[in-house]
Amino acid sequence: MAFLPDESRSLPPPPLLNKGSVWLGLVGWLSALADNAFNQRPVLRAGVHRQILFATVGCFIGYQLVKRTEYMHAKVDRELFEYMRHHPVDFHRAGT
Amino acid sequence: MAAGLRAVRRWGLVAAAPPGLAFTRSAFVVKKANNAQPNWLGVGLAFTTSVVLWASLITQHNEDVMEYERRKQAREHKCTRCS
Repeated sequence: MAFLPDESRSLPPPPLLNKGSVWLGLVGWLSALADNAFNQRPVLRAGVHRQILFATVGCFIGYQLVKRTEYMHAKVDRELFEYMRHHPVDFHRAGT
Repeated sequence: MAAGLRAVRRWGLVAAAPPGLAFTRSAFVVKKANNAQPNWLGVGLAFTTSVVLWASLITQHNEDVMEYERRKQAREHKCTRCS
């Protein structure tokens, strides 16, 4: 299957800053800081271009992953509701 | 080990490195890193890539929103038969 099939565009797109993109952006930024630390540079003030690049890449990948996650969850929900629609007997409320 | 590497870097040890060892981090072939002079090519590429990535992310998000709205309208038109 493609990473993001066409029908995933029928879902509401997640906001630009969602938990996936923020978290992976943070991970990217922290890895740039770690690279500074390992190369004995000033942790926050050195390599700002690197920090920005890593954070950006993290946000980008996070956004794509969250879109795919929402699509997979929606697909499973759709299949679940289809099954429930086809087997109503199994899903009657308890007691009826 | 770290102290030894640091000493190597301070001495500016540059071996006559065969090309095959260019990507190793062996202390025998590493060049002295000079953080005082920025690698302007690298800085420019990093900033350019960041700008391109943000631009593509924001435009893709806006396209996604428009496509979702369009499909929602199409679905409502189909259900109500343009009533």
